Amino acid sequence: MSTPKSGNALDALLGRMKAAASPLREALLEIHGQYAPVMDGVVASYIPELALADPNWFGLSVVTVDGQSVDVGDHQQTFTIQSVSKPLIFGLALEDQGREAVLAKVGVEPTGEAFNSIELDEVSNRPYNPMVNAGAIATADLVAGKDLPDRVKRMLAMFGRYVGHPVHVDNGVYMSERSTGHRNRAIGHLMLNFGMISDRVDDTLDLYFQQCSVLVTAHDLAMVGATLANGGVNPVTGERALRQEFVRDLLSVMYTCGMYDSAGQWVYEVGLPAKSGVGGGIVAVVPGKLGIGLFSPPLDSKGNSVRGVGACVELARRFGLHLFESGFTGPDIVGELNPRRARGSG
Amino acid sequence: MATIVSVHSFRGGTGKSNSTANLASLCAQQGYRVAIVDTDIQSPGVHVLFGIDEAQAPRCLNDFLWGTCRIDEAAVDVTPVLEGGVEPVAGRLFVVPSSIKSDEIGRVLRDGYDVGRLNDGFRALIKSLALDLLFIDTHPGVNEETLLSLAISDLLVLIMRPDAQDYQGTAVTLELARRLEVPEILLTVNKVPPSLDAVKLRVDVARTFGVEVAGVLPLNLEMVEVASGGVFVTRYPEHPFTRELRVIAGRITVAAAPAARRA
Repeated sequence: MSTPKSGNALDALLGRMKAAASPLREALLEIHGQYAPVMDGVVASYIPELALADPNWFGLSVVTVDGQSVDVGDHQQTFTIQSVSKPLIFGLALEDQGREAVLAKVGVEPTGEAFNSIELDEVSNRPYNPMVNAGAIATADLVAGKDLPDRVKRMLAMFGRYVGHPVHVDNGVYMSERSTGHRNRAIGHLMLNFGMISDRVDDTLDLYFQQCSVLVTAHDLAMVGATLANGGVNPVTGERALRQEFVRDLLSVMYTCGMYDSAGQWVYEVGLPAKSGVGGGIVAVVPGKLGIGLFSPPLDSKGNSVRGVGACVELARRFGLHLFESGFTGPDIVGELNPRRARGSG
Repeated sequence: MATIVSVHSFRGGTGKSNSTANLASLCAQQGYRVAIVDTDIQSPGVHVLFGIDEAQAPRCLNDFLWGTCRIDEAAVDVTPVLEGGVEPVAGRLFVVPSSIKSDEIGRVLRDGYDVGRLNDGFRALIKSLALDLLFIDTHPGVNEETLLSLAISDLLVLIMRPDAQDYQGTAVTLELARRLEVPEILLTVNKVPPSLDAVKLRVDVARTFGVEVAGVLPLNLEMVEVASGGVFVTRYPEHPFTRELRVIAGRITVAAAPAARRA
């Protein structure tokens, strides 16, 4: 894999043109066209702001570890990151506190329970993993900073390094989450009761509601995935978003716990570390190769984007992306970025 | 699979749009299904040669880029224009014009567009019109449309005048074309004054750039008189200029032949 080409504006421009002209773009358009008519699923409506999403929105992006990107559909439409933020906050907690301290507060075991269950491990009192709300609140508690604004600032800067530009919180969603998040408050206070989080619980819940309300696009999520695929370095800006040693921590919990309680089905079918959110976003990572960002608001009964899951299944199938795939004889997805490939055939 | 031909020049005034229109017309006369897309959004012009007016082309490339129509809805069948000539037209010729309205030109420059969508349009047009050859008429110099067209082209026809500024600019375009791995590049020297030795010029240019020179076209007074009021090769089928263009068109269809040979 080649090194980042952020230094050369012409290279970046030529890369953009090649990607725009590549067979991969045609493949993504086909997959987009295949799933766009699917009208299953329901847009999240537990707060009114999310219900405003257009159910037809559907964006699909791929960013490679050398910074090439292919984007189709509504890839520039913003939405709130929601649970896709969880692995990234887990990463920030690992950097701030170290692996041992973090694992003392949250486990890495998948759970068949729903993402918002109020349940802790009976022996250790730890939340099962950082991808359920309890675990995410526990990891948010571990984000360092002298006060809430400082912690929020550090959290936003961290997201910014992943996506390669400053990010913002959707205030409408944040205020709504904040004023209706009784269940999450209960989870927070239960963990406080067990001594699993510090007594700045209200600040931490505030941080958590803000982290879920960060605005991103499908392209941003693909960039997050590409950064994780690239050892923690954003392939376009060349900036490190996560220390290399923790990349595998994130990818491991995403692999086993990333898709709510359909993680098993996901691993079986797609076989990639991924994380979904109720805003309709999904990030998937092909380590060493690329990140995939998907966005479409209608969700299945587990809380995963219906079109997002479908498109990812199809991408993995076509290009043999499943991590346990070997001897795959189909097209190489990175090779499909070369406009000169497959020319003259068909 | 159609062959995509980009016609480009680094500077304006080389006769790029005229050459595109004439080469495409010659290919259509030979029986190929051909289209020209005018991606010169900033200064469109190829539609003039075919006498396309607003009534004929209510839609244009801009509408497609804004997502308000399919690209084939913006295509105008200009085959009848060629049929005015001496030779029968065995193929077909379509033109997708760019908007000539100042506010629409302004809008696309101000807002930009998704360059990937332009590529989607080329592919869709090839499919829906069952094209053998797609000519892309580009804006002079280097911009996104030019680079995209280079990235997807099977063949680049690069037009220059025997002029020091054109020499320098042509070198720039060639470097970009090589970096974008354009499989085949043909140079054409246009507007060559009678005082220059055409044979020597051909050799010199080929040596300077290390690229095949497909044609050396004389400064053409009759072309000036046509003043873009029509397609030259249909009006003057036996003119030396047309004969030289026919050689270049032949060279293009040779490049296209393996992919575009029709049943």
